[in-house]
Amino acid sequence: MATSPAHGRNSEVQPDLGRVPAETAAAAPRRRHGHTMRRRRQILGVAVVAPAFIVICVFFFVPLVLMLWMSLNNWPLLGAHKFIGLDNYTRAFQDQDWRDACMFTLKYTALTTPVLFIAGLGLALLVRRATKAARFFQSIFFLPVIIGLAAGSYLFLYLAQPGLGPLTDLARQAHLSSGGSNWFSTATSALLIVTAMVTWKVAGMQMLLLLSGLQSIPVELEEAAHIDGASRWQSFRHVVLPLLRPTLALVLVFSVAGSLLAFDQFYIMTAGGPANGTITAVYQIYRTSFINFDLGYGASLSTLLMIVLAAVSALQMLLLRNSDHN
Amino acid sequence: MSHLTAVRKSLPAGAWWVASTCLAVLFLYPLYIMVSQSLKTPSEAAQAPPTLYPHRLSIQNYQTLSHTGSVGFLQHVTNSVVVATGATLATVILATLAGYGFSKLRFPGSDVVFFAILATFMIPFQAIITPLYSILHTLGLQNTLLGLALVYTTFQLPFGIFLMRNSFAALPNSLEEAALIDGCGILKAMYRVLLPVAIPGLITTALFTFFTCWNEFFAALILLTDESKFTLPVTLNILAANSLGGLNWGVMQAGVAVTVIPCVILYLLLQRYYVNGLISGAVK
Amino acid sequence: MRTTKVRAGAVLICLTLGVSACGGGGGSTTTTGATGKASGTITLWARDSEKAFINVLADAYNKNNGVKVKVTIVPSGNFVQKLGTAASSGSGPDVASIDLVYLPYFASKGVLEDITEVANSLPYKDSLSQAHRKLATYNGKTYALPFTAEASVMFYNKDLFKQAGLNPNKPPTTYAEMLTAARAIHKLGPDTYGFTFAGSCGGCNIFEFAPHVWASGGDVLSADGKKAMLNSPQVTDALNFYHTMVSEGLVPPSAKTDSGVAQPAAFQSGKVGMVNLGAFFVGTLVGDKKVNFGLAPIPGATGGTASFAGGDEIAVTQGSQNKVAATDFVKWATSEEAQTILAKAGIVPVRTDLLDKIYVPLDPRYKALADALRKGRTPYSVVENAVFNDNNGAWSKMINQAVFGGNAQAAQAQAQQAAQQILDRG
Repeated sequence: MATSPAHGRNSEVQPDLGRVPAETAAAAPRRRHGHTMRRRRQILGVAVVAPAFIVICVFFFVPLVLMLWMSLNNWPLLGAHKFIGLDNYTRAFQDQDWRDACMFTLKYTALTTPVLFIAGLGLALLVRRATKAARFFQSIFFLPVIIGLAAGSYLFLYLAQPGLGPLTDLARQAHLSSGGSNWFSTATSALLIVTAMVTWKVAGMQMLLLLSGLQSIPVELEEAAHIDGASRWQSFRHVVLPLLRPTLALVLVFSVAGSLLAFDQFYIMTAGGPANGTITAVYQIYRTSFINFDLGYGASLSTLLMIVLAAVSALQMLLLRNSDHN
Repeated sequence: MSHLTAVRKSLPAGAWWVASTCLAVLFLYPLYIMVSQSLKTPSEAAQAPPTLYPHRLSIQNYQTLSHTGSVGFLQHVTNSVVVATGATLATVILATLAGYGFSKLRFPGSDVVFFAILATFMIPFQAIITPLYSILHTLGLQNTLLGLALVYTTFQLPFGIFLMRNSFAALPNSLEEAALIDGCGILKAMYRVLLPVAIPGLITTALFTFFTCWNEFFAALILLTDESKFTLPVTLNILAANSLGGLNWGVMQAGVAVTVIPCVILYLLLQRYYVNGLISGAVK
Repeated sequence: MRTTKVRAGAVLICLTLGVSACGGGGGSTTTTGATGKASGTITLWARDSEKAFINVLADAYNKNNGVKVKVTIVPSGNFVQKLGTAASSGSGPDVASIDLVYLPYFASKGVLEDITEVANSLPYKDSLSQAHRKLATYNGKTYALPFTAEASVMFYNKDLFKQAGLNPNKPPTTYAEMLTAARAIHKLGPDTYGFTFAGSCGGCNIFEFAPHVWASGGDVLSADGKKAMLNSPQVTDALNFYHTMVSEGLVPPSAKTDSGVAQPAAFQSGKVGMVNLGAFFVGTLVGDKKVNFGLAPIPGATGGTASFAGGDEIAVTQGSQNKVAATDFVKWATSEEAQTILAKAGIVPVRTDLLDKIYVPLDPRYKALADALRKGRTPYSVVENAVFNDNNGAWSKMINQAVFGGNAQAAQAQAQQAAQQILDRG
């Protein structure tokens, strides 16, 4: 109630000691005790951050360190383990299965990233107006985002079933494919179906992020460009895109990271097939650790994946975040 | 004034409506198929080629679903609810506290700690799942819903802390100082003054955590052994792999529907918070 | 504060290292052997394919003994992984019903209890399924008892045979006869196929495809389990035989990506002439009442027959805290009482001395299965999962590539190398 100035030395301001917790009894902002208060604030800061940090330590950092240690060992799930230094890593570089999995993951990332981005951008531009209708459609486009990769995978698994699936049926009726064809029977067509599912599911999220980025671009700039005679495309390319860069960076980093870590959709929709043609890096790690029970080797593959992920993200941020970031 | 009104419309009204409606149909199609397939009679559901809509509505698939597995589907729904809600509560509380700490109660090294927490974004939890299993066992938490909820909390915390820190950072210090001058303790100041304003961020964190945990598949697959503890996505996996006599897609889609519909309802009710919070929190 | 965090972390790491190193969690208080009266509760893990009868079995046991058995059903697809991870952290069950092909692996890793004495004390020990007994033996010691049996046989649709002008009582006995039959049946209609199988399933094909190789005099793995034989000529013949059927359109398109779910459904629909499956399928078909089917042994190239002896073995785990009770249950599971319950559920009993008494009379077609079990074979390997059962493993990949792609020898060479590598690493 008393509004003494921040550095007031008004010794009449006494907090009601009965109601205020003891440790903050001296929190009255008197300059002489300002230093103590800062200290208390810092201690409190540590106290409020600690629970979260402890949880993350126990369930993240500790396993992480353990994983790094495991990667330097021959560590089968059952049985004794022994230290072998970097042997797991050299094995990884010669492992054809791992190389194939990495190649496929890169292929998948290279395919989905632009597709997702264009879809997201297209949707964002479409709903980039203030009408209720636009908000309505925006809701619909965003809906698939919240249903989960597993559910989405099962949905599309059914849609594309040979014989039974509605999509295959539609394609057959439109004479786009023959009756009995199995869309999962080649790695390429299976990849396309998985990409379709992921696009359906994730485009809405990208749309939203890009939309918010677009909204932060002052309208006057685009209007000015229009007045200067720039076509819509030119104004987009030269005015909008550069200012969209920070958002672009964010969207791309998450998109690429998500694609590099893909697993659920392939496990459910293609089971890595046909003939292991759609096994991603994480899938291969899963196989190594939980099917072949070779934990040490699996840990080394995980480490490699982590390094690649960090490098790729850092690179993206570097290249794209040129503009001033507030 | 909203930016949007002043933007030159990219498409004439007619074309815009056509394009939007076509896309909306495209986006809703898989969900429609899910509902329609689940409401068909079992024999119609097994037809190839499939019918476009159920010629006769039937909830038999849902009834079969509830008897699936050795514990009944309702148990799995409960498991998902318990885990998702538990993880959401834990994440919200811990992230709000930590977010406040990082933004308003800086201490030496807080930046380093914050960065360390953020760096976990880059590390896929799939990589550390095996040592995680061992650690859960050491704590006596393996094959428990509590253990799974804690794991989920861990992986949602970075994003939650990031969001809450941004939420709090956006609030002027003067608000807090005024409260402190009024005689509140620091935590009370946070509770009475700052939290109400940070509620949108909080709801976003809660929703985001809930959706992610409800739909999470991989960790649940590995960390839960008892079928009675399985969450919904893992149960779907069993449905798909189980029947030796062939896969009943009607029942399968019913299972997917049960997994999907709660999220859809939650989203439709609270999308305002979710969407706005996501934008303001993430794109800063 | 930092140091305490590091210390705590180190303690945790040591704990987990220690736990994992024990490979099975602490010692049990009771020793092996059937001494002492069984009492208390024991946990039993069974695969979901057993859920039809396992609870009936447990109830029957609980009624008559002082022990309570608590059943946990674990999905088949994850069973090995779950038992492995549970065993490594000492949280597994007292008793486990394990697919027999995984026995050597678990035995070699010290997960299972040595029950050689118990096994030898059984009066009917020599009439227990031979293949099961071989698989349960590691380094001369016995680690499990046979529990349920399975055998692969060829199912054929008698009505389709009749319609195609074939004799429904004389099923094919060579590749050539199978081909003729398949062709004739496919002529009945574009959606009617002569034969089907699971093209993306390792476990299915060791069950259904390997017998062709065995019946032709070859093998896929040496008897001691140390050398892969995926590049042998009999394998080539079998792969080429399947490839011929695929290229002539005698196999439905869903086969290529089938991980085991589509093949029974296809046969059930009455649109497929022949498929190799097991005893579990008989119950399904009989319940369906749709297909008039017959059973025949799986043929080799020019004659001969073979079958994969499958099923589960039942074992006491090293980490069990109540080994006396667990061992008692395991013994009981091979008794006539228990095996009769299984027979009634359509499971082939593991007691060859009881087959004619409790199993064959239930359905005349069961005779083919009983005969198949008596001659059944099972590959023995501690890395069976990685080589054969893994749907993304060398065996599955080879079959998929060779049968649908055509180049058998190249696929075989690649698979042979990959498999041998796994076997060598052991």
